[in-house]
Amino acid sequence: MVDVIDKALGEDADIIALRNRRETLKAKTQASYEAALTPKDPGNFSYAMRAALAARMCAHWKAGELEAHYRDLLKSYGETAFDAIPDPAFRARDSDPKVDAILNRVDTVTLSPKEATRDDVEKLYAVGLDDRDIVTLASLTAFVNYQILVVAGLKMLRDH
Amino acid sequence: MSEPVHEFTLKPLDWHPYVTPVDLETATEAQRDALKITPSNTKVSDYVLVLAQEPETLKERSPLFNDIMYSKEGLSRAGREMGALAASFVNKCIYCATVHANRHIQLEKRPEVIYAIYEKGLEADLPEYDQALFNFGVDLTAHPDNVGVYQFYHLREAGLDDLEILDLIHAIAIFGWANRLMHTLGEPHIKE
Repeated sequence: MVDVIDKALGEDADIIALRNRRETLKAKTQASYEAALTPKDPGNFSYAMRAALAARMCAHWKAGELEAHYRDLLKSYGETAFDAIPDPAFRARDSDPKVDAILNRVDTVTLSPKEATRDDVEKLYAVGLDDRDIVTLASLTAFVNYQILVVAGLKMLRDH
Repeated sequence: MSEPVHEFTLKPLDWHPYVTPVDLETATEAQRDALKITPSNTKVSDYVLVLAQEPETLKERSPLFNDIMYSKEGLSRAGREMGALAASFVNKCIYCATVHANRHIQLEKRPEVIYAIYEKGLEADLPEYDQALFNFGVDLTAHPDNVGVYQFYHLREAGLDDLEILDLIHAIAIFGWANRLMHTLGEPHIKE
């Protein structure tokens, strides 16, 4: 399987050589990507929904290469139901309160995790998410933000 | 019942989840499997039992975390703790900050550096090398869309080579991950 971070950095030879010096770290980062985006048991969050939310997080941080990767991944599933989600301006306030609550949570935890409160979790329960759903959402958001930070740091190294 | 803590502290803390941790008695096979490797390998904490709700990610995350924080060569262990601490200050993960501030003190025996951060927060005035690590942690965490030449030259100026910078990036990023779990799925209380 293609290493997503190497791909996002344009398969730069120096960056690949540097990353390969931390072999376990690199392999476990890629394995975490697969576990977060395409777990064997996706529960209530389909692969398409996961890819769409990941693309939205990347768009928030203007991580263009990763956003493109996740948009392509979303497209590869052939589902159109989540096509609006990657646009950070999209909200589902009137159409789908559950999706709206999920988007609010993803936006807060991505952009200003320090603002997250117990209340936010209560709002997720209120629209029907269960314990596992709430942890799934946090785990996905946390992983993708990790990936965004790693790519941002590596880009700094690559370009200077 | 103890009260939640809302300000940074160096006192030992407990973590109280907002969601229900997995019950070991009724855990699925995948959950039991993921729980075998934990960062501490002692008693399974509520935090890890919460993460076990999503066992496939937990299973990969624990060895990844250990490799990022404890692998040989490259950036010193204390340097990685500084990255973790900077991220946790920006994200206001009080629990993570306490743990990694205290680890830095144990490793470096320079508590004054950590006290300066606890006193002044993101504006802390630190010795040059610590300042370079801390500032990069703050910048990468707060503005991953805006790190570049300015940050790079400060790290080089402080003497970091490519592998050390790679290690620092990962120490900061893994706390971008950890903070988004610990601070959003529960809250700290003073340890009883």
